[in-house]
Parts: sequence; C-alpha cells; structure tokens
Amino acid sequence: MKSEIRNEKEILLKLDDVHVHYGGVHALDGASVAIDEGEIVALMGPNGAGKSTVLKAIFGIAPVHSGEVLWHEKRFKPVPHEVVARGIAFVPQGRRVFKYLTVEENLEIGGFIVGDKKELARRMAEVMETFPALKAKRRTKSGTLSGGQQQMLAIARGLMVDPKVLLLDEPSLGLAPKIVKEVFENIKEINERHGTAIVVVEHNIKSILGIVDRAYVLAKGKVAAQGKPEELLSSGVLEKIFLGEK
Amino acid sequence: MRLMKTSESYIFPYVDIVPQLIANSVIAGAIYALIALGFNLIYGTTKFFNLAHGAVAACGAYTVFAILKIFALPVNVVVTCVIGAVVAGSIGYGLDKFVYLPLRKRKASNMVLMVASLGAFTAIQAVIAILFTSQFQALESSGGVSGSVEVYGAIITHTQVVIIACGLAIMAVLGLVAKYTLFGKAVSAIKDDEEVARMVGIDTNKIIGRVFFIGSAIAGVAGILIGFDTGIEPTMGMNLLLKGTIASIIGGVGSLYGGFLGAFVLGFAENFGIWKISGEWKDAIAFVVLIIFLLIRPEGIVKK
Repeated sequence: MKSEIRNEKEILLKLDDVHVHYGGVHALDGASVAIDEGEIVALMGPNGAGKSTVLKAIFGIAPVHSGEVLWHEKRFKPVPHEVVARGIAFVPQGRRVFKYLTVEENLEIGGFIVGDKKELARRMAEVMETFPALKAKRRTKSGTLSGGQQQMLAIARGLMVDPKVLLLDEPSLGLAPKIVKEVFENIKEINERHGTAIVVVEHNIKSILGIVDRAYVLAKGKVAAQGKPEELLSSGVLEKIFLGEK
Repeated sequence: MRLMKTSESYIFPYVDIVPQLIANSVIAGAIYALIALGFNLIYGTTKFFNLAHGAVAACGAYTVFAILKIFALPVNVVVTCVIGAVVAGSIGYGLDKFVYLPLRKRKASNMVLMVASLGAFTAIQAVIAILFTSQFQALESSGGVSGSVEVYGAIITHTQVVIIACGLAIMAVLGLVAKYTLFGKAVSAIKDDEEVARMVGIDTNKIIGRVFFIGSAIAGVAGILIGFDTGIEPTMGMNLLLKGTIASIIGGVGSLYGGFLGAFVLGFAENFGIWKISGEWKDAIAFVVLIIFLLIRPEGIVKK
C-alpha cells in the first residue's frame, strides 16, 4: 500500500519529509504527501495522527522543523497570505466564520487578495450559484446561521480566491448526517465543476471514501498507508490503524 | 458660573448652570472619545491594552508645540496639526513594528505586550520631558482659533467647538470606513478571529500596523486639541490614557461605537457629578463609574 499510486497529472503541492514539533511533541514525524491537479485526496487517521497538522504545515501556521513544502515542484516558505495568493485556500476545523460579519462580508473577506471590485463581485455571484442557500441569507450575520450553513459559508469563503487547491479540515464535524451528505455533495461538485484539487481531513471514513480519488492514512505523524479507496478498504489497513487489530 | 439675570433663575437657581454643565460634558466626552476611538481600534485588533497610547497623544501635541513655538516655523496651524497627527501615527506604527510585532511573533502573552507598552509609555514621556522640560506650556497660536460662542447660555470656546466637531467627524469617518471599505471589514475580521483572517489571505500584521497608525494619529489629534484648549505637559498622556481606557471599558472594550458612547457617558457623569462638590472629585467619580460598570455590566454598554 505504500507505493505511489497517482495518475499522470502534474503534482501541484507536495510535502516532503516534513517534521512539525510543538515543544517536545512531534506532531509530524517525516510525513510526505503529494497532491495532483484536480483530484480529491483524504487525510485519515486516529486522533493525534497529524492530519490537521499537514494542512497547517502547508499554510505556514504550524512550526515546520525540517522538510520541504513544494508548489509546482518548487520549494517555498509558507506564509499564510502568500499561500493564498498561490492559489491554496484553507477551510479550518469548526467552520470559524466571522460571526459578526454578514454572509456577503464573509465572502468579501474571503476574496481579500482579489482586490478588483468587479472580479470580486463576479466570484461572489459564482459562489452564490454553487451555494444558493447562502444567496438568500446574504445580509444575515453569519453567527446566526445553522451549523450546516456556516460550513457552506466557510467553504464558499475559501472558493472566493478561485483556488487550485482547497484544504478542508473536518468539514463534517458536528453536523447532522443529512447535512454531512449535502456538504460532501458540494465538495464533489466543486471538484467537478472547477477542477479544484481538494484535500480533506475527515474522521467520517465511510462517507469520505465515497468521494475521494486517493487517501493517505496517517499514524503517529507518519504516512502509514496510501492508495485508492477500494484498495484501502480491502487491505484491512484501516482496521489495523484505527482499531489496532493485528 | 454666570450671574443669574432672569426672574426664572431666582426661582430655579441651579438651572442656570445646566447648559454649561452639558457643554462641558460634551467637550469632555469628545476628548475622551478621541482617545477611546484609537484605543479601542488598537485593542480590537491586538487584544491588549496599549498603555503607550496616552504618551503618543502627547507626542502629537509636542510636535505642534515644537513647530509653532520652538522653531516658530511659518506653517499654517491646520497643516501643523496634520503634521502632529502624522508624527503621532508614525510613533504608534513604529511601536508596533519594532516592539509589539516582534513580541507577537514570539507568541508573547497580552500581559507581556501590556508591560512592554507601559515601558514605551514611560520612555516616551521621559524623552518628551528631556526635550521640552517638565514645565507646563501653552499651545496657542496666532493663526489658531480663538474666541468663544454662547449656546443656550453655555460658553464654548472656538477650540472646544473644534474638539466636538473633530470627535464627531472622526467617529463618522471611522464608522463609514468600518462599514463600507474592505480595509474596515478586514479589521472586523481580525477582531473576530485573527488566525482565520490570516488563513483567508489577509496580511494581518500589515493591517494591524495601519490600525496602529490610524489609532495613534487620532490620539495625536486629541493631544493637539487638548494642548490648544488647556495646555501641555509631558505627563498629560497619563490622564488621557486613564479616561480613554475608562470610556472604552464602560462603553464596551474593543467596540468603536461603545468607546464613543462610553466617552460621553463618562463626560456627563464627571461634569454633573461635580455640580455640587469640588472639581477635585472628577477623577474619583470617573473611577466610581468604572467600578459600577465592572460590577453590574462588565461587558460595557454596547454588547458585541
């Protein structure tokens, strides 16, 4: 399962032997992950495996001790606003919309780096088309939205920069199963409609494996396995890692 | 107090002073508002009490003093005031760039940042005293505003009219900037969640730097106007800081409108509080109001 099973597309984003330390805790211990153009990749693993830290390392909000982050095979030092300018958007865990701003203002802030007002308006219209529920609530303070609507807004906010790669951290966390299904459908639609590569950290294994092209399984800060969903499911590696079965 | 002239005044002897008390309250409120607006703007984005804010206000006043009195440059008083505000803004920006930002990058706690700002306050105040002596100085100018107007029996100097007008105008401009510009919305986003603001592509350090410049420039304006109204001394920043902080807390710390409202509540409480007692009690009244708010409404008048 450890062999590189990827398609012929160009590698957009790569983490090579990345180590992230929080004091004495090694959140990532030599993790290597590669994301190709237009694919959906899941990062799975038990709590504390380092899934979210992978996303934070890409974004420059986790202290990378050693290793490299590459964009189009070129090494770069991640700084959040520069990462966004490269075309990578991050939707953090727990939605974290700007609760005192309206839906529309949240989207405007999502497109902060766009600058041009006309372009911003065009992108907002496009995003509203993907999420019609948000259009009806455009003047509503986002703190008053339901959990599902907030999650959609958080994803929509990420789409405002027209990203090449969208990083989603636990998008189903705290949502009802019906809403989770809807969110996953949205993720698939964004990928198909815009060709956006999507990296999803997800604990809801069954649901996420239904929409991804590939998945990485992390354990103790390392990539323990990777492959296509059906291969991971049939190999028994998930049971081994999640349930500790021998 | 003005002499009682009308027959009504003999019947209601205390009513005669009310217009003046109201005017004094509004003037004091406008001064506190100018300090509180900048203070709250900075607190909202950084979440620490920038104690150097008062000393930065004094820098604005002393810049004008240096231009008009020491160097006696033939510069228009309005231009001088703008220069004073820009100098104060630049000092605030410099403090952020060279003191607070490096500390924030090292993940310093808000307590550490506050202590650093206290150090900056002390240092700035000392430098002012070294450069200009500790003496009280007048800041009037031949090209400045002078004279007074009477409004419903209250005497208001032209400088005080400018103070009130500046307080209202700056509040209005800040309100419009917050509501209608991307910069204003970015400031709101940073206030709400700085980490996520960075995640969506905002260069938060750049925005915070600008906030320091704007907030400090407003403080500079306050210092200059107070200088023209009552004079200047190196320690003037402490009283301004205290009143601005109290206004911010009772209005709702971090809230633009809260700070503005709190400033006027404080102005009215102080001035009506000393109606029947000595003016020496003014500061004590301010702290009593603060304590009352901390006990019964710690979140301030304007809730988030």
